[in-house]
Amino acid sequence: MDAVLTAFGLVFDPSVLLVILAAAVFGMFVGAMPGLTATMATALLVPVTFFMDPVPSLGAIVTATAMAIFAGDIPAAMLRMPGTPASAAYADESFLMTKKGQLDLNLGVNVVFSALGGIVGVAFLVLCAPALAELALNFSSFEYFWLACLGLTCAVFIGSGNPVKGFVSLLFGLSVGCIGIDPAAGVPRFTFGNVDLMSGVNFIAVMIGAFAVSELLRGGVELHQVGHVVVPQVGNVFRGVAGVLRRYWLNFVRGSLLGTLIGALPGAGADIAAWVSYAVSKRFSRTPEKFGTGHLEGIVEATSSNNSAVAGAWIPALVFGIPGDSITAIVIGVLYMKGMNPGPTVFTENPQFIYAVFIIFVLANVVMIPLGWAAIKSMKQVLRIPRTLLLPLILLFCVVGAFAMTNSSYGIVLMLIFGVLGWFMEENGIPVAPMILGLVLGEMLEQNFMTSMIKADGAWLAFFERPIAGSLGVMTLLVWLLMLVRGARTALRRPAAA
Amino acid sequence: MRVNDAVLGVILLLLAGTMIWLTTYFPSFPGQDYGPALFPRLLGGGLILCALLLIRRGHAARRAGEGWVTLAPWWSQPGLVVSFLAMPLAVLAYLFFADALGFIPLAFALLLALFLWFGERPLRALPVAAVATLLINWFFSDMMRVPLPRGLLTGIL
Repeated sequence: MDAVLTAFGLVFDPSVLLVILAAAVFGMFVGAMPGLTATMATALLVPVTFFMDPVPSLGAIVTATAMAIFAGDIPAAMLRMPGTPASAAYADESFLMTKKGQLDLNLGVNVVFSALGGIVGVAFLVLCAPALAELALNFSSFEYFWLACLGLTCAVFIGSGNPVKGFVSLLFGLSVGCIGIDPAAGVPRFTFGNVDLMSGVNFIAVMIGAFAVSELLRGGVELHQVGHVVVPQVGNVFRGVAGVLRRYWLNFVRGSLLGTLIGALPGAGADIAAWVSYAVSKRFSRTPEKFGTGHLEGIVEATSSNNSAVAGAWIPALVFGIPGDSITAIVIGVLYMKGMNPGPTVFTENPQFIYAVFIIFVLANVVMIPLGWAAIKSMKQVLRIPRTLLLPLILLFCVVGAFAMTNSSYGIVLMLIFGVLGWFMEENGIPVAPMILGLVLGEMLEQNFMTSMIKADGAWLAFFERPIAGSLGVMTLLVWLLMLVRGARTALRRPAAA
Repeated sequence: MRVNDAVLGVILLLLAGTMIWLTTYFPSFPGQDYGPALFPRLLGGGLILCALLLIRRGHAARRAGEGWVTLAPWWSQPGLVVSFLAMPLAVLAYLFFADALGFIPLAFALLLALFLWFGERPLRALPVAAVATLLINWFFSDMMRVPLPRGLLTGIL
């Protein structure tokens, strides 16, 4: 109980609240701006929060991402341009509603159900995380090894339509993670005598490159293709929302639950949650023929889902140190920088930080409604900011941010390399997220693998002897088998089709 | 820039091969079966497997008529190619000249150049570049104590 009170004290400090408010405004802005994503918002926040205490820096990230995922709905509804990929699933549907003259209701539904979905996600985070942490306290290197394997496999399996390219991305990320001092024996690997490489590859700088600079590269080319946009007038957005809740409560509940679950699975975040929920909604709808004509049902389900996924992703991140999506991958980096190694021990050693994260999550979803309303009303001004100014400014911010991560130009070099690489990967259908997860989890995976190998001393069965490790191991192997079978089937079918 | 899967596969093969070859120089410890080379070698093996699958797939795509490299339509417009290269080149310029010139003059010049290239009016580009440079310098250098290079302004700041 003491920890809870301490947490309240930590959060309700005027300077912390100010940071959270500023982060909320920043998140709204980045989310509402088409082409800037929630992950990018997080990557850009890290250098700013680098020197802050843990609570305000985590608070800033929590608030900014929750806001950005909602704010992405606004340009989707108004202009059919999703502000973040998480709104892409229902951008067409939203825009069709606007064309039917239902923009107000649509925006109202988006802001209210985003907040409600977020709160469901937080409820699960609060309920599940401590219980899972208690379980995880008994985990040995075997369990962690399988958990990391399963997580990384899920990232490949769910996150990409093309498992081979997903694996390429993952294995490449893990290989890059090998650069530096090896975690088991302390031997420098692939460093070529370079002092910077000895410290390893700074993955915040990598992420600024892969998630921000690569977007800027795309943006530079598309700069002149986006014509002038006309923002429609907005009236009272909250009229009729209560009726929607009564009518579509089942969609809301299903969307939030599924969103939390998908968020908690490593590698899949808010965008995939929205796609899946929209599809589920259509599949089980009594009126599936109305989908695609400007129908609310799917929007309710998907907009609840993507915001609940934001909170769901924190469950494995806090409990096991395995990120649920690319945003929490950055969070894990921040936790390490603050000297709080994510994992079950944080729950016993620093419970006040965990409770503070919970409180901030609730707070963020509550202030989402008034701030979201303000964002909707000021959309005209946001879209008036010329991209000709915005893109170079973000670039400069990236350069300084990457520099601040290493206090040398090494960070900028990493940012540039991975920015171009991230752009190239996206062009070729290779997903970026598995690479980042591989880079973040590489050390933990290797450490647990090596420890387990040394403990087992060649007896492979030791990996399956403990009950939880055994179940996780079998599950991982089953997913691998499933992937092989699927791959073989498509390979066999293709020559027949050709 | 879409590259045929076979090309990607060959690049990956070279990369994985180099990685495995480099691990042969890692020290091994007597009495310890599992050394620092094990994990990278496993990863290299996985990459080789993926590379072979990609090469196979790339060949199938070649037979179906895909080129080795497919460029997006904008690559034929020199203006857009410069727009694409402008930002990475700006970063390279920063890397080369930051220490000599210092953050404030260089950041201002790069911002201004990018603004103008992207078609911003000079009347708006000039003040925005100046204010943004000073704000970022104030925030990171003064507030966050990030040692941004001072360059030309070493004696003045």
